[in-house]
Amino acid sequence: MRPCGTFDERYGQDMAIVRTRFQWVMLIVGIGLFLGVYGQVSGYFMLCIANTIGITIIAALGLQILLGYCGQISIGHMAFVAVGAYTTGMLTYHLGWPWIAAFPVAVVASALVGVAFGIPALRIKGFYLALSTMAAHFIIMWAILHGGEITGGAFGLPVPPPKFGAVVINSERAFFYLIMAFVLMMTFLAKNLVRTKLGRAFIAVRDNDVAAEFMGINIVSHKLLAFGIASGFAGAAGALYAPYLGNLAVEQFAFIESLWYIGYLIVGGMGSITGVYFGVTSLVTLKHLIMVGSSELAGIVPALSSGISAALMQIFFGTVIALFLIFEPLGLHHRWETAKSSIRLWPFPY
Amino acid sequence: MIGAIYSLLALGIVLILKSSGVFNLAVGEFVAFGCYIGWAFAVQLGVPFPLMFAGLFVVAALLALGIERGFMRPLIGQPVLSAIMITIALMQILAGIIVLVWPGTNRVYPPLLPSGTFAFWGVTVSQENLLIFLVCMGAFALFVVFFQYTRIGLVMRAVSEDQQLAQSQGIKVTSIISIAWFIAIAVAFIGGLFLGFRHGVNGPGLAALGLKSFPAVIVGGMESIPGALIGGMLVGISETFGVGYVDKYVRGGMAEVMPFIVLLLVLIIRPYGLFGYKKIERV
Repeated sequence: MRPCGTFDERYGQDMAIVRTRFQWVMLIVGIGLFLGVYGQVSGYFMLCIANTIGITIIAALGLQILLGYCGQISIGHMAFVAVGAYTTGMLTYHLGWPWIAAFPVAVVASALVGVAFGIPALRIKGFYLALSTMAAHFIIMWAILHGGEITGGAFGLPVPPPKFGAVVINSERAFFYLIMAFVLMMTFLAKNLVRTKLGRAFIAVRDNDVAAEFMGINIVSHKLLAFGIASGFAGAAGALYAPYLGNLAVEQFAFIESLWYIGYLIVGGMGSITGVYFGVTSLVTLKHLIMVGSSELAGIVPALSSGISAALMQIFFGTVIALFLIFEPLGLHHRWETAKSSIRLWPFPY
Repeated sequence: MIGAIYSLLALGIVLILKSSGVFNLAVGEFVAFGCYIGWAFAVQLGVPFPLMFAGLFVVAALLALGIERGFMRPLIGQPVLSAIMITIALMQILAGIIVLVWPGTNRVYPPLLPSGTFAFWGVTVSQENLLIFLVCMGAFALFVVFFQYTRIGLVMRAVSEDQQLAQSQGIKVTSIISIAWFIAIAVAFIGGLFLGFRHGVNGPGLAALGLKSFPAVIVGGMESIPGALIGGMLVGISETFGVGYVDKYVRGGMAEVMPFIVLLLVLIIRPYGLFGYKKIERV
């Protein structure tokens, strides 16, 4: 629902995402405040949370396009992030490429791997597809773990920090600006992608694939394309994640992380780019709070120390997902929309 | 013999699938949970063996009721992703509880099974393995008979076919689903108990085994109980072959991926598995 008194006089106005001058001002002031004030004032921990959220948002946008818009389930998304991260790591560490040159290669490599593992989607759907993407996760992880010196295997792969001329990105604050720049770009890309012809074709495939095919949408190419785009986003996230971590290890791309991505989408809301922001921001922040809280708790009760953080995280994850599935299957995004329209309508009930 | 364990886990999945149409991804955690509960009864409380069995069944019944009420009933009519995610949520909650309640490393059961070995046509088989194998086979035979010849088995098949139609025939769908969960959890618990006898109690390891039993379900065909048996055996054998013949060329670790490679191949070539109905939606 749009604010009162907004009328379309040109086609461009009808298509605009940011509709009113007030919204433009809010958007620019908001981004400016976030980059200027949050980026400068906040300390190490806050920046760390923001960076993790940023990288996760980029990868989750890809999964949203695949799952929320094209309706193809993937529970191995973290593996494609790993492909992007390890491609970046191998190119920059072994071959000495600059990071900015490795970035597009990582995106393309990840997208290609995604298309390869999307092939089962041509014949199956539903949870058959979920299982095949789970298999993809374990096979990719196995390849990385047993790649010997090329991937670093169990010892990990060091990744040099990116350099832009004389500027070396090696502090949390520097990464904050790099990551946020990419978050803005990728959000712009995703938000516009889903309203192009391609995006609408994805939605048609999700809603009814037989009808979509009937209308002249090539299902085979669109499904593969959705897998490619999703993995491309994951690859971009991985390319940012690699230098941010500094040292890649297989454990950072565990299966549970792939499940968390689905969790972000469920909490945020399926089929909405804004929902990705809600889901990722709320859950990643809570994750960090649990990590801090449980280490505090382990300090108080030493008997609980071993693995309590992981255990609490698992229980928390399960509970949140179950509660959202049962009580709010449409996610936080839906709540946000209802809240917005009720504020706009106030004081009238409808 | 790893195949027998996969078969048992696959059976737990197929049972729930057949009666309620939900693919239970948490089966590995059920097994681990059963293993720990059994250990808690046997070692921490020191109850004798038959009592422990009864205790396990009580816990399984409570768990099944809770799951059906709390997790499954609100999700009737939701899309398939919700059903997958709710079992994943269940899996995470159980895994977390296991780590919280029983932290630390492996635990060992007191020896209850015979541990000798004997030669069988030149192949050395341990009595323990044989017993586990026989129990698996017995369970399978029992379930085949149960689904084919008893009234409740028939009702369960009706429920899996079409819940609304079953309801209109006067079947109480919710309680049938509860019973199915109870049976599946009980099977998983018993499986966990035997695994615990053999390998000690190790939660994360058992959960990983659970993940590797999905290929068994798919290979055998989703709706077929004999399929679960044969699928489990095939996956176990392929895994052993992978370790034996492929490992030396690829720096090892085939045991972890071989089931998944099999899974991918089956999904691409014959998605309905060996014995499943060919009703899978084609695109």
